[in-house]
Amino acid sequence: MKEKTSQGKLFTTLLVVLFSIVAFLALFPVISLVVASLSPASDLMRFGLSAELFLSSLEFENFEAIFSASGAQYWQWYVNSLIISGVLIVLSLFFSSMVGYALALYDFKGKRFIFLLVLLILMIPFEILMLPLFQMMIAFQLVDSYLAVMLPLIVAPIAVFFFRQYAVGLPKELMESGRVDGCTEYGIFFKIMAPLMLPSFAAMAILQGLTSWNNFLWPLLVLRSNDMFTLPVGLATLLTPYGNNYQLLFTGSVLSIVPIIILFLFFQRFFIAGLTSGGVKG
Amino acid sequence: MQNFLSTEKKPIGPGPQKNRLKFLYSKKAAPYIFVSPFIISFLFLFLYPFASAVNMSFQRVLPGQVEYVGLSNFERVFNPTFYQALQNTSVYVILTVVILTVLPMIFAIFLNHKLMKYSTFFRAAIFIPALTSVIVAGTIFRMIFGDSDGAIANQILNLIGLSPLEWRYGAGTGMFLMVTLASWRWMGVNILYFLAALQNVSNDLYEAADIDGANVWQKFRNVTFPAIKPVVIFLTTISIINGFRMFEESFVFWETSSPGNIGLTVVGYIYQEGIQRNDMGFGAAIGIVLLIVILIISAIQLYLTGAFKKDD
Amino acid sequence: MKKFLFLMASGALLLSGCGDNGNDGGSDNSGNEEASDGPNLEATQVIGDDVEGATELTFWNFNELHTGFFEDAVTRWNEEFPDRAIQLTAETYPIDQMHNNLLLSLQSGSGAPDIADIEVSMFANFLQGEPQMLPLNDKIEPELDNLVESRYQMYAKDGQFYGMDYHVGATVMYYNEEIMNEAGVDIDSIKTWDDYVEAGKKVVENTDAMMTTVESDETWSFQPLISQRESDYFDENGDVILDNDINVDTLQFLHDLVYEHEIAELTPGGFHHAEEYYGYMNEGGAASVMMPMWYMGRFLDYMEDLDGKMQIRPLPLWEEGGNRSAGMGGTGTVVTNQTEEPELAKDFLAYSKLTEEGNIQLWKILGFDPPRHDVWDNEEMRADNRFYDYFHDDIFDILLDVRDEIAEVNITEQTSNATQEIQSNVMHSVLRDQSKTPEEALTDAADAVRSRMSE
Repeated sequence: MKEKTSQGKLFTTLLVVLFSIVAFLALFPVISLVVASLSPASDLMRFGLSAELFLSSLEFENFEAIFSASGAQYWQWYVNSLIISGVLIVLSLFFSSMVGYALALYDFKGKRFIFLLVLLILMIPFEILMLPLFQMMIAFQLVDSYLAVMLPLIVAPIAVFFFRQYAVGLPKELMESGRVDGCTEYGIFFKIMAPLMLPSFAAMAILQGLTSWNNFLWPLLVLRSNDMFTLPVGLATLLTPYGNNYQLLFTGSVLSIVPIIILFLFFQRFFIAGLTSGGVKG
Repeated sequence: MQNFLSTEKKPIGPGPQKNRLKFLYSKKAAPYIFVSPFIISFLFLFLYPFASAVNMSFQRVLPGQVEYVGLSNFERVFNPTFYQALQNTSVYVILTVVILTVLPMIFAIFLNHKLMKYSTFFRAAIFIPALTSVIVAGTIFRMIFGDSDGAIANQILNLIGLSPLEWRYGAGTGMFLMVTLASWRWMGVNILYFLAALQNVSNDLYEAADIDGANVWQKFRNVTFPAIKPVVIFLTTISIINGFRMFEESFVFWETSSPGNIGLTVVGYIYQEGIQRNDMGFGAAIGIVLLIVILIISAIQLYLTGAFKKDD
Repeated sequence: MKKFLFLMASGALLLSGCGDNGNDGGSDNSGNEEASDGPNLEATQVIGDDVEGATELTFWNFNELHTGFFEDAVTRWNEEFPDRAIQLTAETYPIDQMHNNLLLSLQSGSGAPDIADIEVSMFANFLQGEPQMLPLNDKIEPELDNLVESRYQMYAKDGQFYGMDYHVGATVMYYNEEIMNEAGVDIDSIKTWDDYVEAGKKVVENTDAMMTTVESDETWSFQPLISQRESDYFDENGDVILDNDINVDTLQFLHDLVYEHEIAELTPGGFHHAEEYYGYMNEGGAASVMMPMWYMGRFLDYMEDLDGKMQIRPLPLWEEGGNRSAGMGGTGTVVTNQTEEPELAKDFLAYSKLTEEGNIQLWKILGFDPPRHDVWDNEEMRADNRFYDYFHDDIFDILLDVRDEIAEVNITEQTSNATQEIQSNVMHSVLRDQSKTPEEALTDAADAVRSRMSE
């Protein structure tokens, strides 16, 4: 018996060592980014990130730059991203939860067909629809607007799918008792059922937030002016060799992660619960 | 909000409108109202664009002139550049599917193990990369894997006695960069999926297996795997689709054109032809071919994993 | 948008009542969505808004410096022609976005500006089908004798001129005199490419530097050399000649510089605009670089340690009596067919880019070798400026010397494709991978372009 515990201890130690290495690998680029943001930017572009940089003295010049006048453009991108992601999270959660809920808990004609369509869209890469959608945006004169960036993401099939998976597990009796209490069907959803789906709302808020905050190719297409860019599109323009805005590139990258971390910390305790139902039954 | 609601409600009062409204409130109509956002977005943001993508793929779209060119766009698709793009993308899909299913599964099982310590911390640490965008992550990867001997990846190679590499110029190293970037970002998320599934395995089952004298492998096959199989199916499906959609992981390293096309992906090719060279008909045709490839592969994969047998 | 959100939200509220109780679940109207015209930022610049009754024109470019040039032109124009005053809105976009957006707005028939810059390698895309730009023949033809004509033929299709360039882009050799002296080479003794190779061997032998660098990701090493030898990607009929003997021989020469003579290395970062290269060159990594005149600005901006050390010379000769330069790069400014003021836009563009005064400003403001060669020996061009300070005083004497040695570059609808093939396949497989011989690589590329043309 004694042997077994010492074996267990060895096993634990091995696991901790293994995961320390994995965690280090995961965190290293993030740490590097912070170090990079505190180092002379054009040297970085010229020589890459060297080990010595981690030991050298760090300077806050880049951050001063981003908070001064030359960073104005960057903060405009920031505002754009915040607005677009904020509105998108709210709208897409609102619509997708309704759809998912109905697909899970109502019996109606065409239900299976609609669910099949959801799965089908899930399978089809957005990029195939990109060109016609782009033409549509031109036709409706939506190019270079927030709405153009948001439209394709407002009803997200993946979110519909998750909400549906989650809602399937909810007790239908509650809907009945809601009806007895004189609630409308919509009241039942908003007052009784939606609160029960809270974990999935949290999970989807994180997932949709991530998707929208980091969305790149579509905004790259439909946004044309500098002051409409979202953060990823704006930051990508700093990567070209024809400018000398590298200072903004690294500090801007670091600061761009902040809202998404806040969102994550805010909702994370529901995150796993929300994912459980969705993923497992897939 | 409540005040607003009550004043708004009054004008709806009596009359024929009332019946219609009543119908809207009925149990029959409700589900249709609920799914209507999806129907609307399906029609306008999916079906219509899809139809015009198909239509466009038979056209040559030029300024001031649009003409139908039959199958010529599709004939053009099958050229060496497309094969190169498809090959790059396929290799990427295979590598990411394997890495992003097998490793998270192993990690999750360990993290869930009763002898594991500090599990919450490790879980969070591995998840953090998921919060960065590809653009941000790619920027820092470019610095770490810089071409110069002084970049940290080359310093490490040097340390273990290997010669430095020009990471962004070789087909192998280029693929390594893209796959590493994707794996790094998604590892934590996929671990969470597995961890969530593992919560459903009760310890009783393991104890029962212990009593039956099952070894580690037998326990995994008979107890653990059945519980996480749905996640495996889900993740392989998602990884395949996301892999074929890949564009950004290549964009951050080479923007839109890479040396020897080592970073060219199918979607990158759509962007190059459809947007940059303004050949929308051709771009659309590449998209249709990509769709067919994805549907075939997904069908095979779902058939092999037996996903069709259950669920609706 | 605001209205839309409001309607959606209130609709949801209306339907979701439980008895008399309102409900606030899930209908959070985040009403901070403003109309899409964000605040004005520095990328957009309005010039001449102080003039009353001025006609508004819009101008798109991908380089803020070009805005500065037009800012000056508008001011002069408004003083000279107060009755036809202009208010120019100049917008600077990242290069890819600008071209994509311009292409798509021209294609869709709305949203294009009055005037726009188009980079030469992308110009071909704009010549496809019916060009959606206005011909500028009535402005250019009368001045053609004073212009380096080849720079206008690049932007022409079927005898119609569509673009006006900023510069000649005469390709020259920039020598780091300090390194050359250390190696014991007099740069004026380098007359031919053979001399250059010999000098290179001395540099490698006697110093820590390489003689030069060869681009592997872009075409600034290859294209000037074939143009110098009066070859090209296409002949004047638009047929592909990418794989002709001169091109194969030239590519072999570049290959040999690196692997046979070992006096050159592949450009750090892949091309001469890479940050890695600037750092390398600035530290004396190479003794020379072949780039067009407009590259002077890059030295000033990114390689400050070389101040006073660089000498500009014509290119070495391939053979007696050959050319000593080649016109490379370029940006054609066009008037789109969506302008509501075609005459004004054309007159203004001609005023800024075709007049003597305008050409002098191209040098003074941008440091470009202006396309109008009759100003090259103008007094005003000789006035002190930062370019003379960094380099030396006889820059334009060198230009005048090689004026007639600049071959035309044939731009066709397929030029972008050819450039793409060369950048992503030819240079890589010959110079970096060494997986193909120059002949194989160029033949493959030429076939690829030809197969596109037959469609």
